[in-house]
Amino acid sequence: MKDEQIIQLLSEKIFLRKTSTPRMVASFVIRDFKVWWSYKLWTSLDVAGTVFSVVTYYLFSLITTSQQVQEAGYSVGGYFTFALIGIAFQRYVSFAVEGINDSIRDEQWNGTIETILSAATDFKTFLLGEVCFSFIISTAFLIISMLVGILLGASFNITLLSIPSAILMSFLLISSHMAVGVLSTGIIMKTKEGNPLTWAFSWITQLISGVFYPLNLLPWYLGWLGRLFPLTYTLDGIRLCLQSGQTLFSPAVISDVASLIIFTLAATPIALFVFKKGYNAARRDGSLGQY
Amino acid sequence: MKYAVEAFNLTKAFKGEIDNGERGVVKAVDQVNLKVREGELFGLLGPNGAGKTTLIKILCTIILPSEGTAKVNGYDVLEESEKVRSSFGWFHGETGGRSLYWRLSAEDNLRFYAYLQNVPRDVAEKRIDAFLEFFDLMKDRRKLVKDYSTGMKVKVMLARALLHNPPILFMDEPTIGLDTLSSVETRRLLKTLNTELGKTIIFTSHNMFEVEQLCERVAIMRSGKIIIDSSITTLKDTLRDIRAIEVDIRDSKNPDEIIQRLSQMPMVIKILEIRNRADNLFVRLQVEDEYEAIPQITERLHSFGTKIQSIRQVEPTFEDIFVKLTGKE
Amino acid sequence: MDVEELVRLLYEDIPRRSSELTHIWAVFWANFKIFLSYRSWVITETLSTVASIAMYSFMGLQVAPDKLSGIGYGDVDWLAFALIGVATANYLWMCISRISHSMLNEIREGTLEYIVSTSIRMRSYIIGQSIRGFLVSGYFMAGVILVGLFLLKVPLVVTFETILSFLMIITLMVGSYVGIGVMIAGIILVYKRGDPLTFLFASITEFLGGVLFPIGYLRSYPLLWSLAWLMPYTYALDAARYILLVGGSLTSPSILNDIIILVVYTFITIPIGFKVFKWGYNRIRAEGTTATY
Repeated sequence: MKDEQIIQLLSEKIFLRKTSTPRMVASFVIRDFKVWWSYKLWTSLDVAGTVFSVVTYYLFSLITTSQQVQEAGYSVGGYFTFALIGIAFQRYVSFAVEGINDSIRDEQWNGTIETILSAATDFKTFLLGEVCFSFIISTAFLIISMLVGILLGASFNITLLSIPSAILMSFLLISSHMAVGVLSTGIIMKTKEGNPLTWAFSWITQLISGVFYPLNLLPWYLGWLGRLFPLTYTLDGIRLCLQSGQTLFSPAVISDVASLIIFTLAATPIALFVFKKGYNAARRDGSLGQY
Repeated sequence: MKYAVEAFNLTKAFKGEIDNGERGVVKAVDQVNLKVREGELFGLLGPNGAGKTTLIKILCTIILPSEGTAKVNGYDVLEESEKVRSSFGWFHGETGGRSLYWRLSAEDNLRFYAYLQNVPRDVAEKRIDAFLEFFDLMKDRRKLVKDYSTGMKVKVMLARALLHNPPILFMDEPTIGLDTLSSVETRRLLKTLNTELGKTIIFTSHNMFEVEQLCERVAIMRSGKIIIDSSITTLKDTLRDIRAIEVDIRDSKNPDEIIQRLSQMPMVIKILEIRNRADNLFVRLQVEDEYEAIPQITERLHSFGTKIQSIRQVEPTFEDIFVKLTGKE
Repeated sequence: MDVEELVRLLYEDIPRRSSELTHIWAVFWANFKIFLSYRSWVITETLSTVASIAMYSFMGLQVAPDKLSGIGYGDVDWLAFALIGVATANYLWMCISRISHSMLNEIREGTLEYIVSTSIRMRSYIIGQSIRGFLVSGYFMAGVILVGLFLLKVPLVVTFETILSFLMIITLMVGSYVGIGVMIAGIILVYKRGDPLTFLFASITEFLGGVLFPIGYLRSYPLLWSLAWLMPYTYALDAARYILLVGGSLTSPSILNDIIILVVYTFITIPIGFKVFKWGYNRIRAEGTTATY
């Protein structure tokens, strides 16, 4: 192509329109999916790992008693169902949060982050795109875990309304953890050391959110600390719905839902603020493309 | 005659994308035959993607050839890779400093590589000091490399390639990322290493001027093939033949007349290109002697009241050289 | 310093002597220094180790003691039982994942490519990396056991003899996994991704090795049961538990049996591991992907 042709092409007047946010997000999701799909072998390894961890806790449940779980108000399914819900949803959020961090780090590594952020995309859209994809993949893993659990004999006490209630709780879980993911991403951008942070986060939630044991087994101060984490409310709510057949209309579940909403409303602006700080700091240091 | 580097029908094919997304085989290095004498300062020129770096990496035993083989310091790159590896120093400018440990200091990096290259401890310390001083990095020697500028990283990488005092140096774009003064110093260092210590240096660049200054013999690569392999004097003659002058003229009311006047000048051989857009005239000409031509053209156009925005001598492109030397388009 | 001075220094041609020990030491030392530069990682990892032990102690509250007796280690406390499992399984996983992690970094940053072009043999590089991995992970393993002993008062048999025996078993365990670690490294070279592989490795070890539950519960699944005893880890864990829970000595028949099997594994897997690594190494040289910057 001759330079005259290029000049002619560029001097054509086009009405510039902003690409709509959903379209932008979709294009991020599609791109990430293509990258992910190119690693089929690894995906299958991930699935295998998930299955193994469910089976491990099934075998562990064989040496436990269901007494504590029932005392905590989750009447059906015993320890295995209790732990299954705990593992599946805990991994769900930690996967999603780690997924966001990893994708940002990959972008930094490949040097694509600077290009993307300079390509007239505002950073909220960019983030939303990254976040959506991680949650889609983690949902698939959640479903796999639950299916394996059911095959191994996890039993539930559900009613017509309790399943939609559990699904609603899952959405609240997502929205509250988006904030967590965004927050940690902001910190990574500045410090370049993200994984330890998310790791610590996932261990702390495992310890005090009641993933493997009911909260009443914890000493009071840890139990109190556990109430600061949204996962605690989600797990409680989902277990009440799936193990005790309660629904959105029972007071215990309502209080869980309310807590999650409050957490999300409070955490989202803070997270966006921290992210913007980290992003600007990285731009100031000129270390955006660095890792 | 002993050769430092010999390549026999060296070919490297990668599976990858060719045009418009189709998958196929790309030959990054295609049937290359090459002989570089011991003690020669050899330039490897070519546009980006010509296969220079792949060729060097094969010689460094990092990439295995698909066909053919090569000898470095008399050792075969396939059969005797360990002996090959202790024979050369390698610098790869394109990495932009990434091939260092960013979380170690400059001196820790150099120490690490010196040990990997079997330099005795006391000698390593002495040389590290000398190189850091030469490259003016003494005061930052304990700083982590991640806090270095690109130019500083390049200097550490240069020192790394030379520390073990190998007989052969593969210098892949060694002045990329360096400021003018440092590149002059670096070129001088390489030249001295060549003349004083008899090091064989294979120098790649896409800057013709650099190669012209430094090398005795030059090969030019294009699409994986060595198209031209000639002495530097032949190349210089060729360059003289096809060096051009470019003139930008503003507010040219009568371009035809200006062009006519230019072509009437005795030292103008040919007018290569004319572009005229919105009263701005651009002319590219081939002249007998570019150093004489610039003042003469300026004077002549000036006497007609023509406003010259700029006039300069331009280096020929690789295409120009290919056409000139091979006679093919 | 000017050019002439510098060149004069290079006039004296000192003979270079190749020493594998120096190479191994250089790789170990450089990587250890890099590890120390990730201070916040060390801190958070330490904290998460402590958190995980606390978590297991709460999990233990739900275990029915009668289901644990009769598994061969006497009247055993579940937390003590699990602590040894967790300490050894984490150790193993960390060794392998650390090595894969730093190799991936080296590929991405182009340092591996440069190392390949130097006089070091790949063998020395892997050994240097591994020693670093073993030491760093050893710190965390010691941490798990010390927290268990002193904070949670877990009943372990701690004498000079059992400590020595335990360390001996750990060394043998590491030996039997060197080959597998090298194999994983070879695969990572080619595929440039480590996490899923090490994650799968960790979950298989935790599941089949009987980290959290007595392996006897696998008996009703013959396939899993036999797979479990195919892993050297199962033997190492069994021996480690005998030593620290019952105070067994290295010469007792059941531990001796474990030791022999670990040694056999070591000799079988190391050559296979290096074969796989060589395959990966030659493959990336053929593909030209020793660096991905």
